[in-house]
Amino acid sequence: MLIRIAWRNVWRNKTRSLVIIIAVVVGLWGGVFSDAFMQGMTEQQIYSTIHTETGHIQLNQPGFLQNFDLQKRITNADSLVAILKTNPAVAGAAAIVRVTAMATTASSSAGIMVNGIQPSDQQVVSNLSQLLVQGDYFKSNRANEAVIGQQLADKLHVKLKSRIVLTLQTVSGDLVYGAFKVAGIYRTHDSDFDQQMFFVRNQDLQALIDFPPAAASVITVLLHQSDDTEPMAASLQEQFPDLQVQSWVQLAPMLQAMSGTMLQFSLIFVGVILIALAFGIINTMLMAVLDRTREIGMLLSIGMRPAKVFGMIMLETIFLSLTGAIIGVLVSVASISWFGQHGIDLSIVAEGFNALGYSSKVYPSLGADFYLILTCMVIGIAVVAGLFPARRAIRLKPAEAVRGE
Amino acid sequence: MQFSGVTGEWNNSFKTNVMSVIEIQQLTKTYRETLVPVHAVNGIDLKFEKGEFTAIVGPSGCGKTTLLNLMGGIDRPTSGQILVEKVDITQLTASQLVDFRLYNIGFIFQSFNLIPVLTVEENVGFVMELQHRQREEITARIQYLLTAMGIAEKTKLRPKYLSGGQQQRVAVARALAAKPKFILADEPTANLDSKSTNTLLNLMASLNEKEQVTFIFSTHDQRVMDKARRIITLEDGKVISDTSVKHSHAEAQN
Repeated sequence: MLIRIAWRNVWRNKTRSLVIIIAVVVGLWGGVFSDAFMQGMTEQQIYSTIHTETGHIQLNQPGFLQNFDLQKRITNADSLVAILKTNPAVAGAAAIVRVTAMATTASSSAGIMVNGIQPSDQQVVSNLSQLLVQGDYFKSNRANEAVIGQQLADKLHVKLKSRIVLTLQTVSGDLVYGAFKVAGIYRTHDSDFDQQMFFVRNQDLQALIDFPPAAASVITVLLHQSDDTEPMAASLQEQFPDLQVQSWVQLAPMLQAMSGTMLQFSLIFVGVILIALAFGIINTMLMAVLDRTREIGMLLSIGMRPAKVFGMIMLETIFLSLTGAIIGVLVSVASISWFGQHGIDLSIVAEGFNALGYSSKVYPSLGADFYLILTCMVIGIAVVAGLFPARRAIRLKPAEAVRGE
Repeated sequence: MQFSGVTGEWNNSFKTNVMSVIEIQQLTKTYRETLVPVHAVNGIDLKFEKGEFTAIVGPSGCGKTTLLNLMGGIDRPTSGQILVEKVDITQLTASQLVDFRLYNIGFIFQSFNLIPVLTVEENVGFVMELQHRQREEITARIQYLLTAMGIAEKTKLRPKYLSGGQQQRVAVARALAAKPKFILADEPTANLDSKSTNTLLNLMASLNEKEQVTFIFSTHDQRVMDKARRIITLEDGKVISDTSVKHSHAEAQN
């Protein structure tokens, strides 16, 4: 009976209830969609970092990443790659020779990281070949070809087929020069990566710096399932104790930290919106109690316990809030799902986004656990918002209230 | 003697021998919200027997509504006693008073005070639902009362679709539904036209006889006074006359 009365009371003054329900819907949708947008950006950044830059796991000699010392190399890299490829959890593995260098053209110069790769292997662990804006990805068999980022191309004022001279150290520490022709230009969402990462064929670089043919600086591993990353990293570390095995979490700790704090941040953001909405709900319910003074007085007079009157007002508040919340969540799920498939194109501000390492096309995304927590938060806020009007209702004196005083 | 909220019964051995439903002794209610205290009820002594049909009359501000509120346990007196079957309800706690009202009193208000979101039958059965009565019992009682009130065809309607007279008939049915010991009606005909008033009074008089429920009205309405078998006149919070009236059967029917 109490539930029936409370539910019908919500719809007694339709305009008033609809105003607050719409406020809850819009407020929740705004908060949830913003959170999904940010979550989507972070997830995309993680995905891009893994699939373009780091892979899920990297293996190298301990200390290599501190100063990119060519002596700290994996001597049997080719056989290691072959072993890794046989693991069913591994989607691909690629050996990279990595060395710092100075790139020079007739008009400019820049410090870069040269990556000597085996294109067929690298294409499996990195989607860089799909991010080319000009040229191709080592299609010809010509020696000394390079694939560089758009940012670096702009900085060095080069275009396709332009020649870039690299100055690097050999394994024995001597300086050497090598000329490379631009075969392809890529653009990722990360402008730092685009400015620094310079890709050449493995054998061209090895020959230039006298690097042993079967060796590599880094082995990148891409897995079928991201969830397997940590167990696989632990397993590889056990299998190859002399090497340093790092997951993308260790290679890009900021990303992991961002991902970890995003849920908390989102909940705080939505929480602030809900607190603001709570004042609207309190106001609506206070007006409802005021309008129904005579009726509440009658209920108390005929023997309805104050606890039941209290419960009735609380239920009304919860129903009112939950109605808005359910519609708000449905609208959010629908819009997040649609934009999650089609993306939100922010190419108009792409430069700023790329400078921060984000893609200019964002695919909002939000986990199911967020909606569950959100529902609990709405009920919690509704309970708190209902307390004051409900308390007000039971403090009415029946004799005065039945006369509408 | 204790009142049981669960059964709605007074736990005493002499209950069945008592004829007075209500006995009021030296009842006073003083409002001190102004500089000069106002004695709304000023030392009243009254007794009401089972099955009475009584009108409390008097000019505005004479204390009729205050007296009804005190008898109904929705207001507390300044002093005096209200004995309902020998239990002094002025000594009951707030929680006991709620149960006392629920199981003993039916209220009829001037402005009907039906629950607008409930249908006619839900309004009538509301008090019985609060008492957790069996569904079959509630349904049967609702049917009986709405038929007796001549609004059996309106059971599924909400109050806003009824006339004022019909709404007040629903209110009377609600007051009677849980078979209370007495019904307190505060100006029940004030918002009704002449025809509706006569219909309502006849229905109440008939149910008063059939169910032997005590009806106590506060009223200005001469038509109510004409139907009453006892008229208590108040002035300045005091009883200035208490008269029994004998009606012929024909009068009562009119």
